[in-house]
Amino acid sequence: MTATIEAQESLEATLKDEILRMYQDVADHPEGEFHFFHGREAAELFDYDRAWLDRAPAGAVASFAGVGNPHLRSAIQPGETVLDLGSGAGLDAIIASLAAGPSGKVIGVDLNPTMCAKVEAHAAASGSQVECREGRMEEIPVSDSVVDVAISNGVINLSFRKRKVIEELFRVLKPGGRLSITDIVSAKQLSQSVVNDPKLWAS
Amino acid sequence: MFRLLEESGFKQVRSVVVPRFKFRKPATQNAAESFGVKAVLFTATRPATT
Repeated sequence: MTATIEAQESLEATLKDEILRMYQDVADHPEGEFHFFHGREAAELFDYDRAWLDRAPAGAVASFAGVGNPHLRSAIQPGETVLDLGSGAGLDAIIASLAAGPSGKVIGVDLNPTMCAKVEAHAAASGSQVECREGRMEEIPVSDSVVDVAISNGVINLSFRKRKVIEELFRVLKPGGRLSITDIVSAKQLSQSVVNDPKLWAS
Repeated sequence: MFRLLEESGFKQVRSVVVPRFKFRKPATQNAAESFGVKAVLFTATRPATT
């Protein structure tokens, strides 16, 4: 193994820990102040339907930490299977479940098992069903060609291997399936000092 | 991201900037703007036949 690969793997492991810490912090302390807008304030900023926000459990709304609204273009239909990549506390997955209805299915995937437990509890509290699977976005724990719609919100930018994530999304989508994802992009190459700083990268 | 989607085989790739995205802290927002950081909504379709 080369020193470069070892360094990359070490950085990825540190980044994983920082991501787990940061988003757990938002979920556990939604009253806190973070460098990004979160909770209902952020959701309303991104034009989430207020009826959805009223219907979703308060905990899921308060812990929302997305960067946009993938539901503006998701067009989820009753009966569809939806993947929420990086489901967090579950607001997007719960909205997807409400749209897909009882004949549909929503699969959340999250790195953090605690968040998986949280999203399932939040979904149950809202009368919807979300199955959350612990896993990495570079190896999505979903079979080939089973998803009608993939959504994600502010998650893929956290990966060092974005191409692999996109290939995984392609793999799990059915032929004719679609994705609607919001994420952070940068017009300029980030400096190495930013890339090597897990706190900045996780931001 | 747009290019990655196309190169991975997705079709009908579309993107639109999330108009009201910003960081809470002005210092973070200023740093983000200096790198051209923005939030974008992407949509794409896996072709029905591949």
